[in-house]
Amino acid sequence: MGKESVPEAIVRFAPLDKLLGLGRANSLWPMTFGLACCAIEMMATGAARFDLARFGAEVFRPSPRQCDVMIVAGTISKKMAPAVQTLYDQMPEPKWVIAMGNCAISGGPFSFKGQYGIVEGADKLFPVDIYIPGCPPRPEALIEGILELEEKITGKRRWPRVEA
Amino acid sequence: MEELVARLEEIAASVSRADYDAKGYHLDVTVAPDDVEKAALVLDEAGYTLEAITGVDWLGEAARKAEAEAKAAYAAAKKAAEEAGEEPPEMEPVDTSGLKDEMEIVYDYTSYSHLFRVMVRCRVDRDNPELPSIHQVFPGADWHEKETHDFFGIVFTGNPDLSPFLLPEDADYHPLRKDFSA
Amino acid sequence: MSELALSPNQETFVLNLGPQHPATHGVLRVKLVMDGEYIVSAEPVLGYIHRMHEKMGENRTWAQFMPNTGRLDYLGALSYNHGYVKAVERAAGIEVPERAEYIRVITVELNRIASHLLWFGAFVLDLGGFTPLLYAFDDREMILDLLESVTGARLTFCYFRFGGVYNDIDDDFVTGTREFIKRLRKRLPDYHNLVTKNIIMIKRLKDVGVISAEMCRKYGATGPVARGSGIDYDVRRSEPYSVYPEFDFDIPVYHEGDSMARYMVRMDEIEQSMRIVEQALDRLPDGPVKAEKVPKIIKPAPGDYYSVVEAARGTFGVRLVSDGTNTPYRLKLRSPTFSNLSLFGEAARGMLLADALALMGSLDLVIPEIDR
Repeated sequence: MGKESVPEAIVRFAPLDKLLGLGRANSLWPMTFGLACCAIEMMATGAARFDLARFGAEVFRPSPRQCDVMIVAGTISKKMAPAVQTLYDQMPEPKWVIAMGNCAISGGPFSFKGQYGIVEGADKLFPVDIYIPGCPPRPEALIEGILELEEKITGKRRWPRVEA
Repeated sequence: MEELVARLEEIAASVSRADYDAKGYHLDVTVAPDDVEKAALVLDEAGYTLEAITGVDWLGEAARKAEAEAKAAYAAAKKAAEEAGEEPPEMEPVDTSGLKDEMEIVYDYTSYSHLFRVMVRCRVDRDNPELPSIHQVFPGADWHEKETHDFFGIVFTGNPDLSPFLLPEDADYHPLRKDFSA
Repeated sequence: MSELALSPNQETFVLNLGPQHPATHGVLRVKLVMDGEYIVSAEPVLGYIHRMHEKMGENRTWAQFMPNTGRLDYLGALSYNHGYVKAVERAAGIEVPERAEYIRVITVELNRIASHLLWFGAFVLDLGGFTPLLYAFDDREMILDLLESVTGARLTFCYFRFGGVYNDIDDDFVTGTREFIKRLRKRLPDYHNLVTKNIIMIKRLKDVGVISAEMCRKYGATGPVARGSGIDYDVRRSEPYSVYPEFDFDIPVYHEGDSMARYMVRMDEIEQSMRIVEQALDRLPDGPVKAEKVPKIIKPAPGDYYSVVEAARGTFGVRLVSDGTNTPYRLKLRSPTFSNLSLFGEAARGMLLADALALMGSLDLVIPEIDR
């Protein structure tokens, strides 16, 4: 499967782009796509206590054709890699990818010398916008990742940053 | 229980009791590769269930054993020579080229109704690992055999499909063999 | 089974379920041959999340493998911690102080409740009900908070050590756990009113996906799947370990073998686990939580060792082969859902596709544990 290159628009409508960006950022539709442990924390993020709906990103869709955010939550094995790639290709533009957890960032604990079964990081397959470290990351971390993505889309931080 | 042990003794090469607290199983049964199905039939009739099948790759074990034996023999000879006041002999290099490596296949059986764990093991030639499948007796063995074939390349004759199971469809390697490197 | 379904003249088609499908709880794929809405044959395809645990065991020390056990079955990670430390303690002959055993039982049982709660939510979600998931997660979060306060993790625990546990529990944990149990006791009737007595649930589950006791035995099924088919087998009772013999608890067994029976077994197990936790808290002895003379480098005597525990999904077995060095020579992990899922192909034959998904949900699958 070859890499698809999407040409940028020749004529740009800056204010419209901004408006569209604002709309997209405030209603991200992630894909229901769990690979491993991180998927459980992703479920927890969507459930009662952490309630991702507060940030407009709770419409989890099972079909890639209805999504604009792919949260890669878990280890990508070599057997699974073509399927993950297909799912990414099936998502309509504009689309973003969040690599949730160490496995999706770099292979995490399953990356060792002589490993034969996993892809060491989602960015080996397609571009990744946000990396969320953790094994698994806490739901708060995923929410922060979504907020970071919003910032990336609109250029502005919508929510105050939590000071350490 | 005693009846089961007696019936297993008929077909097995050796049957020995194990210390459950130390080992985690009660009966250690070694059979010839061709007899695994007979052992499975006996255990099936006794109402046992198959918990798992797995393999162990004993690459280099035969050579290690031969070397250890040669060393022990040499030490004994040296001691005897010293006691007799003679010059101790030179240790001769051990020839391990003719030794055959083996793979072990382990079947864990247990019973729902009483606590008696039976471990059936057998060894096959590492270069040509082949033994009969027991999926006709325990259909659950099918998946365990596929997995063992994936990991070790052990061929279970009679198993309907031994194409890669846990590994990618095009995998031609057996990762749990000791000489495997990615 | 409909006669139509398996008649040879009917045309069949192949339907691919997964590896990305919300009802397969992860990355399971099932190749289905369908005759209309009926399944002619179902063949699960595994390996989409094979993470090389057994290979990893061979290239690190005994202690370094501990974090892996929390990532096998991440919903019941502490049972897996327990299974592994128990096997190594048996091999190396390490004694565990009594207080540590009590803490192990308390945390494992809390983890079992959390696992069953998540299964409850996800299972009802499979059947089309969304609300119970939110109820279940609400209660589950309280357990995670309690466990986090002692283990430091929410999900992939690595809390047990050879010869004890990593951290002692404090009074806050004890009072918090008691409060939680009180709360869950009040909430469980809500669960039953909302879901168990729901007519849609009953119609979807009663007499659907019947698994016979003989089939369980032939495939080596254990845990709630076997207990839903009338097999009175629970490692905590049949092969007592840790301090379980000291507690008074029942093993729920249902004889129907249908999806409803498996559902009821798990719901009853939540209550029994609460009983165990309460008794353990009442009798919690003082003392150290870690054996004193555990060697830094563990070298079990050469030989093979086997050990099982009752995880939330059934019998988890660890087979160790030691060659006397500080690394395992071979580490086999016997996972319960691997065997439980292996009977799916036979059980689903002739079923409606929607019913087969109810059956699959009632098996309580955690795919990374199957693929390892």
